Amino acid sequence: MNAPAAMPQPQKPIRDAKGKRPQFYESPGLDQAMSMILVLASEFSAMRERVDTLERVLEQNGIEAGAAVEAYQPTPEVLTAREQWRQAFLGRLYYLARKDAADAARGDTEARFRDTIESIAES
Amino acid sequence: MSVEMVNIFQQAEHPVLPKATHDEKARQEFAKSLKGFVQQGLLPGLGMVFQGRVARAFEKTHGRAPADRHDIRRAMVQDLYFQHYAATNRIAQELLWESVIDSIERDLPALNARAAELSAGSRAPLEVDPEFATPRYVTAIDIHCMPGGYAGEVAPGDVSTGALYDRGVYLYAMGYMGPHNDDMGRSVVNWLKRNLPDFAPERILDMGCTVGHSTLPYKEGFPDAEVTGIDVAGPQVRYAHARAAGLGLEVGFLQRNAEATGFPDNHFDLVVSHILLHETSGKAMPAIFRECFRILKPGGVMIHADLPPFDKVDPFAQFILDNETWYNNEPFWGAMREADQIAMAKAAGFPDPRFDTAPMAVMEFAAQTDDYADAAAVADREFTAGEYAPGGGWEILLARKAA
Repeated sequence: MNAPAAMPQPQKPIRDAKGKRPQFYESPGLDQAMSMILVLASEFSAMRERVDTLERVLEQNGIEAGAAVEAYQPTPEVLTAREQWRQAFLGRLYYLARKDAADAARGDTEARFRDTIESIAES
Repeated sequence: MSVEMVNIFQQAEHPVLPKATHDEKARQEFAKSLKGFVQQGLLPGLGMVFQGRVARAFEKTHGRAPADRHDIRRAMVQDLYFQHYAATNRIAQELLWESVIDSIERDLPALNARAAELSAGSRAPLEVDPEFATPRYVTAIDIHCMPGGYAGEVAPGDVSTGALYDRGVYLYAMGYMGPHNDDMGRSVVNWLKRNLPDFAPERILDMGCTVGHSTLPYKEGFPDAEVTGIDVAGPQVRYAHARAAGLGLEVGFLQRNAEATGFPDNHFDLVVSHILLHETSGKAMPAIFRECFRILKPGGVMIHADLPPFDKVDPFAQFILDNETWYNNEPFWGAMREADQIAMAKAAGFPDPRFDTAPMAVMEFAAQTDDYADAAAVADREFTAGEYAPGGGWEILLARKAA
């Protein structure tokens, strides 16, 4: 089979700065977790701004979106759907707490996990 | 700094400025706001934490108070408040670049083509040498954590790191450099007009000009002068030339090293630099002073604008300033601020070098229009280590070659 022809590489700017990144926190991984939290905050802020822009664009086109949003009366079906979404969201946010409780309920511990690995290797 | 002041100045449009989509712009604004928050919301707490618990803990352990910025750093890095401050500041810096690179990546071949077209239409010289030896102090690590550094290139004729720097500086400065990021150049020009009213330079050189932010005010201030910017980074020089052309100014930009510029002896009336010296090295800095002396005409003026040397601020402010060395890829930042610049300038041949303050031109710019009424408050602030804009003005090292 012939080797595939080399694809032309698109021009891409450099993404990663040269120079070892310092670690600010003593706990390994916390630096990366902090950067992830702030990236999420950045996306949240951008999304918030997009909604704000959307409302203002609607207003420029004769739709008083801000007032209409305030005056909006959700139906019981909408209320239920929103409640379901919020509970599911909170469930996702606290998935580690859920897992922790499930571990406790099953009696799962670190020691038991290690024992399982050892016993499977030997069985 | 009030909330309004964060958005006093929006960056002025020009043809090679990267164009952001709505969401890219929103992310850029977030990075800028995060910087503002770090400086206004977190920085003040560092002093409280230091006085309230860190200094006391240090005394308990060592039986003495922290003596200098090194003691302060050793103690502060262990404190969670400082860790949050420094980590967030670093992340804000990283997000700043990341948010601009998205715009550049989307537009890259077109951006380079636009720059080449603008430069082709300008009569001012553009000199970029593919064989140029960019000094190690610029290439060893990416200064300011800017991906690619000043000199990174990803295509022939690339200007991407110039474009990144242009937008990045605006966000880093939170607009306090004015719509054209040119407050330093503008402030030095104002200083010259006030303090040397009869000085009419015919040839002006701006060393380490990057994208020409500070270079262009000299052409505006001295329209009959031949103004040249030099820099060691090809993409910066190309972008500077295209940007000047896009703004309707004919200013020459050459890829040259400030340590050995290649210009004849006694050539310039005025040689300036803006935040250049702290990006050089222990050997380069005195060499640059000697080169300034060589290329200046008798009676010619040398001005280097930078931040205050360490001996002008207290140890805690030194510690805050020195964070740039450790966390923002500024290898020479700390050492430069410890150097005896006066002695260095004297050794280069200048008889009477001294420091002065050039008041921030942003205040005067603001006075021209009611839109910028809040800007005066920016310029009126006291110098605060760790905040971007120094209150009052820029520190300038000033020397004149004997007539």
